[in-house]
Amino acid sequence: MADDEGAKEGDKKIVHIYPLVKHSDMKEEMRNEVVELIVSNCEKYSANYELCARMIKDSMDKKFGIYWHVVVGEGFGFEVSYETENIMYLFFGGNLAIVLWKCS
Amino acid sequence: MQTPKVKEGKPKKVRTSKGKEGGGGGGDADDFDAWMKSRQLIKPDDQLELTEAELGEEVTKVLTPTNTNVLRNLVVFSFKDGEYVLAPTPSNTVTLISFAGNSLHVDSEEARYQVEESDEIGYPLPMPNYAVVEQRETLQEGEEEGEGDDDEKIGVDAKPVPEGGDEEEVEEEEDEEGKQEGEHATEGEGGAEEEERAGAQPAIPTSGKKKKLINQFNYCERATLTYVNPKRNVDTQTIPPPRSQFGGNVLQWIIYDSYNEDYEEQQKMGQLAGKRVSAKKTFKKKTAHAEQLNRKYLRCWQILERMINQNIFDDIGNDYRYWEDPADEYREGEGNLLPLWKFQYEKTKKMNVTELVFNPSYYDLFAVCYGSHDFLKQHNEGYLCLFTVKNPAYPDYIIQTDCGVMCCDIHQNYPFLVVIGLYDGNVAVYDLRDGCKEPMYVSRGVKCKHGECVWQVKWGPDMADGEINFYSVSSDGCVFSWILMQNKLWVTTIITLYIENGIADGPDGTKVTLRSGGSCVQFHPTNPTVFLVGTEIGLIYKCSTLFSSKYLMTYDAHNMSVYRIDYNRFDSNIFVSCSGDWRVKVWEDMRADPLFIFDLGSAVGDVKWAPYSSTVFAAVTTEGKVHVFDLNVNKYKPICVQAVVPKRKNKLTRLAFNEKLPFIIVGDEKGATTSLKLSPNLRLMVKPPKKQLYLDQLTLQTAKLEKLLSLVRELPDGDQAPDVATTVNT
Repeated sequence: MADDEGAKEGDKKIVHIYPLVKHSDMKEEMRNEVVELIVSNCEKYSANYELCARMIKDSMDKKFGIYWHVVVGEGFGFEVSYETENIMYLFFGGNLAIVLWKCS
Repeated sequence: MQTPKVKEGKPKKVRTSKGKEGGGGGGDADDFDAWMKSRQLIKPDDQLELTEAELGEEVTKVLTPTNTNVLRNLVVFSFKDGEYVLAPTPSNTVTLISFAGNSLHVDSEEARYQVEESDEIGYPLPMPNYAVVEQRETLQEGEEEGEGDDDEKIGVDAKPVPEGGDEEEVEEEEDEEGKQEGEHATEGEGGAEEEERAGAQPAIPTSGKKKKLINQFNYCERATLTYVNPKRNVDTQTIPPPRSQFGGNVLQWIIYDSYNEDYEEQQKMGQLAGKRVSAKKTFKKKTAHAEQLNRKYLRCWQILERMINQNIFDDIGNDYRYWEDPADEYREGEGNLLPLWKFQYEKTKKMNVTELVFNPSYYDLFAVCYGSHDFLKQHNEGYLCLFTVKNPAYPDYIIQTDCGVMCCDIHQNYPFLVVIGLYDGNVAVYDLRDGCKEPMYVSRGVKCKHGECVWQVKWGPDMADGEINFYSVSSDGCVFSWILMQNKLWVTTIITLYIENGIADGPDGTKVTLRSGGSCVQFHPTNPTVFLVGTEIGLIYKCSTLFSSKYLMTYDAHNMSVYRIDYNRFDSNIFVSCSGDWRVKVWEDMRADPLFIFDLGSAVGDVKWAPYSSTVFAAVTTEGKVHVFDLNVNKYKPICVQAVVPKRKNKLTRLAFNEKLPFIIVGDEKGATTSLKLSPNLRLMVKPPKKQLYLDQLTLQTAKLEKLLSLVRELPDGDQAPDVATTVNT
């Protein structure tokens, strides 16, 4: 698979790094704000995913109320239950997936 | 100290004997035996067993006053003498315990004093003991006598010795301690006697004021219990926020695929959007281009239409210009009207013509207002159409409004400015050059409009600073002046048409000043500050724009609503009015009575002076007839009465003279405007006398009118003007 990917990339030579919201049921306003927040944090702490996740969580707790959970990583699986209208599943930087949801 | 010990045994014995003697009863003896037994029992085990002899043996013990424990050879070093000197022997007293109490002896002076003060003590105080001795003596005698043989042995053995001893002792003690306290002496005599005394002796009657000490334990406590508020618990449970499930797997290829998918979609969307934008732009360009083209085409089509119409209506056109009825030469004082075109607009066929106004600059262009005079049949739209004689088929300009257009006026100096008054009380100004879709000015707001239907609007002469203005009159009894400011209409009230002495009782005791609704207005041709207002109650007020409080003149003109007032074109002192009361009246300024009264047999919708003659005016009636008068020809009858529309189906509403050519237009209730050519007899010019050929028409017309008026004015002042109207018979 990795080889294929490499081959494809080699063919196309396009690496997308823009934030791609894969799934989110947030309201438009909130979604934009959250995307902005994630992007800025991921760019700032691109070397340390743990710190990145912590910073995102802290900011989210401050802005949208507590009990946020954030996962930042390159490969993982998840199955979560969340308070409706409070989830975002987002790809960023071409290799990074960020899931954040609210659940008390 | 040890002597009393020895003696102690004896007194005990004496007492026991005494007890036996005194008791007399068996009970006491038993108690004594029991006591004796118990005494024997507590004898220690290691006690020496002694024989009677040994016990009886007397052991002499010598008591010396010398204390052997006291040190007698104590020395102290004296620094003064430089040697040891004998210290003084310490005293014999050994203090075992020192107790500082606050108790007072009952018999002490202090105690007695205290008792006298307070009168509070647990038991009665004993008497002083002086009498006790005597009592006791008697008792003892009695005892000796009464007891007799029972205890003689013991009594004989024991009594005399201790008694004597006791007596002696008492006496000795009394001697020793002095007589300060008599009671002390009694101590030695035993508790029994004391008890007796206590029982027998009455308490000393305390003298002096009794003082009650406060007992701190004797008090009363009061309390009350209030209701305890009941406690309650109220719980409520809210619905928890809704939750959802979501799951997924993050793998690098999933991320990659998602990005690719999204990117492709974005590309597609971008292409589509680009197409749309370009499409829109092209569309806009096209429409703008089309509009320009359309305008050009429109002009062409209009010219073409006019050409076609000219061909179609060639005969009418010729009549309009050149036809003179040859029959008039043979008729004296009679004329007729030749119908020319009929102007109609498709959308206004069911509406009334509410106003006809010729354009002052373009003589063949005229405005027709469409609305409704019927209160119950108001349309939701109104029209103002400008027709030209050159094209009777279709109006040149069409202005559509939300409600009926009741009146309009075209500005004298700016022939493109049209002001209209609407049925809902609003006024609007249109600039015909800009198109007819949006008004240039429109009255807005509740305050800045008339409360009811606007009946007439009139452009006023430009103000000193060049601002364009107009006046409007409405059923709400107000005459407003409107000024066209830079971007809005500025409204001021010129006059409110209050009825003189017209005060009615309003609700809850208030007074309401009645107003008369204005129905028409006409400005003085030469003096722009003076104007006439016709009202719905038939009065005509002469007012001035300079002040709003007073009428210059009130004409009691009609019995019904005044529909039109028109000033004579040649003499501004003369005006004509018409009304719903079938009458047309000719007035002279400041004369309360009319000069001429004509009864036309039905409501007169409009009356206008002819622009070419000082004595000719025309009127239209609801019967559908046009009446043309020439006062110079006939003072009593119209010189022409002609039905223009069918009598029962239609009514004529308005009329207007063309300023240049000898024709009139009349509007009817079916939205049609008919143009009628005046025959030569209806437009007779004054022939100048042979001697005064140089005189122009204006002078001649004025002279003609003056001559006519002088005839009417000659009526004596006292006589009532001919109220009997000239009834027009046809």
